[in-house]
Amino acid sequence: MTVLEIKNLSIDFPIAKGVVHAVSDFTLNVPQGRRIGFIGESGSGKTTTALAAMRMLAAPGRIAEGEIHLMSLGQTNIIKLTDDEMRRVRLRKISYIPQGAMNSLNPVMRVENQIWDGIIAHEGAVSMAELRRRSKAVLESVGLADHVGRLYPHELSGGMKQRVCIAIGVCLQPDLIIADEPTSALDVITQRHVMQTLRKVQETIGAGLILIGHDMGLMAQSVDDLAVMKLGELVEFGPVRQVLEAPKHPYTRQLISSVPVVGGQSFLDNPPAAAVADTTPARTVPLLEFEGVAKTYGSNTALHTLSFKLDDGVPKIISIVGQSGSGKSTMGSLMLGFSAPSNGRVLFQGRDINRLSAAERMAFRKDVQAVFQDPYACFNPFYRVDHALAYPFKRFGLARSPAHTREEMEKACRTVGLNPALVLRRYPHQLSGGQRQRLIVARALMLSPKLLIADEPVSMVDASLRATILKNIYDLKDKQGISILYITHDLATAYHVSDYVMVLYRGHVVEAGPPKAVIGDPQHDYTRLLIDSIPWPDLDRNWGSADDARADLDRLDPVAANPIFRGAVAGFELATA
Amino acid sequence: MARIPAAYLVNRLITLVLTVLIASTLIWIIPRLSPVDPADIMLGRMSAAGGTVADSEAILATLQERFGLNDPLWAQYLLYLRNVLLFDFGLSTASFPTPVSVLIANALPWTIGLMLISVVITFIIGNVLGALMVWDHSPKLVRVAIPAAMVFTSIPPILSGLLLIWLFAATLQWFPIAGSYGLLVEPGWSWEFVGSVIHHGFLPALSIVVVTFGFWALGMRGLMITVQGEDYTKLAEAKGLRPRYILYRYMIRNAILPQITAFALKVGLLIAGQVLVERIFAYNGMGKLLYDAILNQDFPVIQGVSYVIILMTALSVFLVDLIYPFVDPRIRHGRA
Amino acid sequence: MADQALQDTTKPDGPALTRAEIRRRRRYENPWFNPKLFWGAGILLGIVFVGLVGRVLWDPDLVFTGAGVLRLPPLGFENLRGQAGVLNHPLGTDGAGRDMLALLIIGAPNSLYVGVLASLIGMSLGIVLGFSAGFIGGRTDDVIRVLSDVMITIPPLLILVVFQAAFGDVNLTMMALLIAAFVWQSPTRLIRAQVLSMREAGYVQMARLSGASTGHIMFREMLPNLVPYLFGSFIANVTTAIVTAVGLEVLGLGPQRIPTLGRTIYEAINSGALIQNLWWWWGLPTALLALMFIGLLLINLGLDEVSNPRLRRL
Repeated sequence: MTVLEIKNLSIDFPIAKGVVHAVSDFTLNVPQGRRIGFIGESGSGKTTTALAAMRMLAAPGRIAEGEIHLMSLGQTNIIKLTDDEMRRVRLRKISYIPQGAMNSLNPVMRVENQIWDGIIAHEGAVSMAELRRRSKAVLESVGLADHVGRLYPHELSGGMKQRVCIAIGVCLQPDLIIADEPTSALDVITQRHVMQTLRKVQETIGAGLILIGHDMGLMAQSVDDLAVMKLGELVEFGPVRQVLEAPKHPYTRQLISSVPVVGGQSFLDNPPAAAVADTTPARTVPLLEFEGVAKTYGSNTALHTLSFKLDDGVPKIISIVGQSGSGKSTMGSLMLGFSAPSNGRVLFQGRDINRLSAAERMAFRKDVQAVFQDPYACFNPFYRVDHALAYPFKRFGLARSPAHTREEMEKACRTVGLNPALVLRRYPHQLSGGQRQRLIVARALMLSPKLLIADEPVSMVDASLRATILKNIYDLKDKQGISILYITHDLATAYHVSDYVMVLYRGHVVEAGPPKAVIGDPQHDYTRLLIDSIPWPDLDRNWGSADDARADLDRLDPVAANPIFRGAVAGFELATA
Repeated sequence: MARIPAAYLVNRLITLVLTVLIASTLIWIIPRLSPVDPADIMLGRMSAAGGTVADSEAILATLQERFGLNDPLWAQYLLYLRNVLLFDFGLSTASFPTPVSVLIANALPWTIGLMLISVVITFIIGNVLGALMVWDHSPKLVRVAIPAAMVFTSIPPILSGLLLIWLFAATLQWFPIAGSYGLLVEPGWSWEFVGSVIHHGFLPALSIVVVTFGFWALGMRGLMITVQGEDYTKLAEAKGLRPRYILYRYMIRNAILPQITAFALKVGLLIAGQVLVERIFAYNGMGKLLYDAILNQDFPVIQGVSYVIILMTALSVFLVDLIYPFVDPRIRHGRA
Repeated sequence: MADQALQDTTKPDGPALTRAEIRRRRRYENPWFNPKLFWGAGILLGIVFVGLVGRVLWDPDLVFTGAGVLRLPPLGFENLRGQAGVLNHPLGTDGAGRDMLALLIIGAPNSLYVGVLASLIGMSLGIVLGFSAGFIGGRTDDVIRVLSDVMITIPPLLILVVFQAAFGDVNLTMMALLIAAFVWQSPTRLIRAQVLSMREAGYVQMARLSGASTGHIMFREMLPNLVPYLFGSFIANVTTAIVTAVGLEVLGLGPQRIPTLGRTIYEAINSGALIQNLWWWWGLPTALLALMFIGLLLINLGLDEVSNPRLRRL
């Protein structure tokens, strides 16, 4: 039985320059109990379509054409309902699980009140005892204890908040659940737990599910049918196996190929050799050295004592992988000298970077550059983007003349695949995230540093561009001879680009070694859990149930700090003492 | 459960104490920087005024003793702080030998009464209107008419007060032009007296309300627009909650929090504005007392009134700070 | 979500909007192109213009006592004594025979002068203190934060009353300086908060990586982005300063020998102008001040829309 039928839906957004057709001629049915994935990049209209079914389009969007039928309401077109009738449909017939888990709950209301008010809005006066019974039951169904109901949102973790949102979404047993990137703000381990919880409760109540997302892997692990959207149009629709194994549309093929897979085909043209034979004679002074470095914030230890030496022979990519809070970004900030270690010393070419003279500091700044996570924040909105490239070039005395600067900027842009004429004189907000991040790579290229810290360089960029940008970064090592510390939560890309991988968990190195060993054949519980949690576009893989995910999370707590070393590469030494 | 975190409380208390300390120090130090020694002038005026009062010599001698005018400066300062804590500001030079504290005690209830009515009403009206300006389900009239009225809300109450006096008291003569109750009315808990107080208080209160509600309304409007875009408001709508419920429990409830903080920052200016309104309405409060004192160069009264008004402000801020944790669980259930 | 959808990929087509709608939407996209800002600035510039040109076209000496017949009404009106307004004093005269037009021409720029000067000084203090607190942090930050928290509670009017009661007459500049001592707190708080959040911004970290000096980061990277906030705070402070100055004048303090709008109102009230229906005496300065405040408010509302895009509603 079909629960939702969308017929020839078109949605327009009138703006200053005319009308944007955000969705055009979209037709799709959602059968009962079936999970449909809407996949596409930002701007593809996937969220807009789903919001139209809730009649919650953001102004000035409007439905220009088409019909939306909810079967349990008979032949009524949802678009024709009055506001109050539509209000009664929401949550009871169609529920919505929002994207921003962090901010989706009212900060001044207890969790249980936010479940109750939904029940009361649709069922009128319900006794207190009944309300309590139902909130308890629905919280339990998403794996939350009863007492969580009496907490305020700020007392919950991100994963818990998102599970509360799921609890709210299923408390009235709707016909259809729309989940809008419900796990985009969560790390992979929590993502697996939340996703499996959602699937479980959806199966229990037998509702249809629309899962909106951009991650092909997550879709493969979660949905039955897949709808691929591009620029407001449905370009491909079919059972997920069919779409993944025999994609018809080139865009679908592009989406599938842009997902890096551990052990799969590398997206690089010249992947790192298995074991780098260091032919240059070993230097006495390493490029970067951590000497018993630890970092604490108050009583919290962000990074436990750690030592390593990276020599400046053959350039290498060292990956530091871990979830948020693992201490990996703390390491990045220590290497850049943005924060000082609580213990030990960070040495660059033998000098303590926190005790440099003004001239040495300038040299250090020139030699150690970075690419940060958020390409939107890295440009000062007040200046045109070339400011970010030209300023350091002049500041470090590399510019011989304005013309020289311009020439170098243009060369760097072309190297990373940007047309300098189209980007350099623009303001940051006029460029896409991918373009901005490539400009930051171009900036690093112009300065030709000895070391580059790349802190989650592609996590905020659309999937199809990730591989390209990583290739750009990889080329910095390969062609420019820059050593790179690649900080990421994404094990698949770390697997492909790096020469050596360190896995961090709660400030401890838990496993380290060449990527083929650490990620290809993990030995430590935590590394294994991380890899098991990654959603892959592989339909035959068992992603585990919600209970498995839960059990794995519980098992993690007593993880010992005993690191497992899986072999070494020449030119890099690691020790945890 | 519902308790104020100790660190928060201590922090607010320190602010309160510092505010009072700094204000009283300024009040003490400023006249001493003046080229003419106000203590001399004060004593001179008192002895002049005291010519007609019996035992004035003795009173002046005690005064000199009490303010330690012959002691070193630091001792005078400490003595002053002690006196201030005990609300002892000496004697009025204009109505010698009435203690300043008595004059203030007579005026203070009027000021507090007017403030409670005008400031509190303004806060409520302003926030409700500001919220309605944003709410999608408000009547069209509210969403169009109120923003237009906003333009006048930048005007300080003293100017609106002038206009109201001229229109309703001098020209139409619906309301009395001065005073806080009728001259022929005996103060007490009689209907006549209460009626007279309301009759006299109406215009001063109105002149504050008409021009200040807009400040809150504008602030609330901005906050409501922000809250309207928050994910939790979107989810509330997706939950099919009734619009009115969303307005109260989701939107206003969250948007009001920064307004309460703003109230604490603004209350000083509001009270100062009210002092001026009292002066033009010759309302028997602190404003009139201050104005008369300035006219008569009655320095002890000026000092006393200024101190008490600043103390009132500081206490109001402290009170708001005490209430705040009860409306924001994030403070109550300690989060950094 | 939808906003992003619009910018990124989909191509717009088909003009389907009225001209008024297009204008509204263009305003949405360029916040400085904003009727509130336009009108607010227009009003204030108009007042300044009248003040400057008036000094040339009208005799400023008419502000002195006895320049004309006492209590003459504006042109076209009649006072209670049956005197009609005359062309020599088109806006009438006050109780001492001063020409109202000259009073307004001299008085209005005086009020603006006090407001702008006090606010400029307060602003400069605020920039220095706010940047120090946000950048140096630690003890410095604590002291500045607590001090601004404390001082923001104390109403300037009362301290200034004590000051002027003790010192007697002041001139305009002195009054502006005194008021400035009480209007640095809100810019300090604002800048401190912004600096603290900007310190973590990607572009500031990028500037540090580029070897930028602290001065460069503060003034070249941060300050330009603070402009709408600073401007808004500046205008708000001009308002506060003028309100405080007028308040002092209406209490009979403030400059005694220079004509100011507040002092004119003070004299009008004291001479019973309200009861005797000498409306032009207090009404004209009141109206002019009101216009000034409306202009300031409009600018501030316009600036709010610049710094907070969500306020720009279609």
